[in-house]
Amino acid sequence: MNNLNLILAGVFSTVAASFGGLLLAGHAQLGALGRAPAEEGGPLFPSLEPGLAIQGRQVYLQLGCVACHTQQVRPAGQGSDIAQGWGVRPSVARDYVLQSQVTLGNRRIGPDLANYGARAKSDSEIAAHLSAPAAGSAMPAFPTLFSQGKDGSLQPNERGTALIAYLKSLRQDYSSPEAKLKQ
Amino acid sequence: MSQENQHSRPPGQGRPQGRPADTGSPRISRVDASVASPVKFFFASALLWLLVSSVLAVITAVKLHLPGFLNSFEYLTFGRLDAIQRNVFFYGWASNALIGLNLWLLASLGRFEFRNGWIATLGGLIWNLALTVGIATVLIDSQNAFELLELPRGVALAFFVAFLLAALWPAVAFVRRPTGQVFVSQWYILGASFVLPVVYLLTQLMVLWCPTNGVLQALVHSWFLQNFLLLWLGASALAAVYYFLPKELETTLTGYYLSTVGFWTLFLFAGWTGPATLLGSPVPLWIQSSGVVAAVMLFIPLTITSINFFGTLSRDSGWSRAWNNTTLRFVVFGLVAYTLALALQIIFSARSLNAIVRFTSFAAGQQQLLTYAFVSMVIFGAAYYILPRLTGAFWPSAKLVHLHFWSCALAVVGSVAGSLFFGWTQGAALAAAKPFAQTMHPQEALLSSAFAVLFLIGHVAFALNAFGMLTTCSSSTEEARQA
Repeated sequence: MNNLNLILAGVFSTVAASFGGLLLAGHAQLGALGRAPAEEGGPLFPSLEPGLAIQGRQVYLQLGCVACHTQQVRPAGQGSDIAQGWGVRPSVARDYVLQSQVTLGNRRIGPDLANYGARAKSDSEIAAHLSAPAAGSAMPAFPTLFSQGKDGSLQPNERGTALIAYLKSLRQDYSSPEAKLKQ
Repeated sequence: MSQENQHSRPPGQGRPQGRPADTGSPRISRVDASVASPVKFFFASALLWLLVSSVLAVITAVKLHLPGFLNSFEYLTFGRLDAIQRNVFFYGWASNALIGLNLWLLASLGRFEFRNGWIATLGGLIWNLALTVGIATVLIDSQNAFELLELPRGVALAFFVAFLLAALWPAVAFVRRPTGQVFVSQWYILGASFVLPVVYLLTQLMVLWCPTNGVLQALVHSWFLQNFLLLWLGASALAAVYYFLPKELETTLTGYYLSTVGFWTLFLFAGWTGPATLLGSPVPLWIQSSGVVAAVMLFIPLTITSINFFGTLSRDSGWSRAWNNTTLRFVVFGLVAYTLALALQIIFSARSLNAIVRFTSFAAGQQQLLTYAFVSMVIFGAAYYILPRLTGAFWPSAKLVHLHFWSCALAVVGSVAGSLFFGWTQGAALAAAKPFAQTMHPQEALLSSAFAVLFLIGHVAFALNAFGMLTTCSSSTEEARQA
């Protein structure tokens, strides 16, 4: 094994094998996946994100929220995500086709947010959580997302409003061809 | 491996502080002098980044149990600092140090004088400048959502060019020398130096420049991360182990003929293990299963490296001789960590076990076992051997060497054990459908802060020693070159 070209060709082949076998094959299967109705003639899912939510996604990325929060619900039998109340069905590939950068995440220091919009109660409650998280939570407050209102109370500023809109837009509570909700 | 020993310089005996030569007169060989300036540059940059990373690690660890700590500025929020700390550690510390280590190993193995050291240094300059710009961007602007791809995409281009200049081109130049036996360390270095730029470029294209559809990005990312961890960091560190272990024990490797199989199976399967880190994710099941199969196949290279290394250590009181040798003490520590890390990766790619520990600190513990307890410890050991030979000086303080070893060893054992234990117990509690908030262990964050401080102490001790040596003896290289 003294031939440099042979070593380089061999290493190249090993990289090419995993690239082709996983990524190109994955691309062939999912590359053209788009929005679809759960049943013929029904509305298309996932829904388009509101403009404010798209801005909020940028704030989510900037602050590095993905360091502590995932956005994926595993199927029953592969973890207790559904039992934790984080989703009503497992996440499927189609749920993410509109996201320019998917924020699946790989660490949960806080709860999963894939279906947060469906369980969040109101804008003011989300704002309260972002400005002053509950005692004992590892989440920091985000004072820079708020400014003082005329009455002295904290009001979300432009970025805060966008982030709240984004968090409310996170929903995986619709039927999709791959994951139908039980009636 | 016997050829390696024939070509190598006479080994020193009982050099707890990594003395440069057994004659007592510090001389630098022509080969060492030819790579001294780029290698010293890479090691010095790596050390500075290591200190930055250690300080950031203390801050992020404290933030997990005191979320209000340093929270008045948005720049210092956990999400940003965590990403910066990770990038500083992997691209600043580990990658700089491994580029330097690989350069030195190639020169030393080939007894080859490197004529264009400035090109590698230029690559190193671009690499470090790009990293600085990338970190500043994460600090004041935004970041990407993928681990180790957080830096803006322009930085990636600079990284790519820098790596070609600093690592790939020198590696090819070294191995292409006219008459040459190619040793197993050289295969690993060559493979690692080839895989990183190719995989990094493809990943950047498919995730950031022309993003693929939805979850395919996560798949590409997992492929990148496993290649980066196992085939860049892992393979480079293995190259160093294959060099230092037989050389310092003055023996041949047990089952050396098997190392070819170990090399090819590691490179063949490592890239496929990416999806094994995505079990339960919304990627197709057949892709996840391929990842699991590949992870199990890592058993082959693991067995072969175990035969090579532990077989060698078991002969002629190898363990105790390794313990009494500064370089080998670090290297063998790393070797045990590598074996454990790969064994854990194989075991916890089983779906039922993975379902318990996924998303908990268990995975962080596994990663630390590989990247710190193995890769970083091997780099430390190598530095204790190489720097005296490049500077022609002795390590200034033996006490600092001991402080460095013990604080880093204790910190990494404690930190990894804590992450694995608390990760497992949290996962088990979640599997029993306990509410998430009740499964967090406040002790875990406290413990990791304490260990982060211990890491910092060890790294400061190492840096004091290394910079003491690098600064006081900066002129000796020139003298040696003239001699």
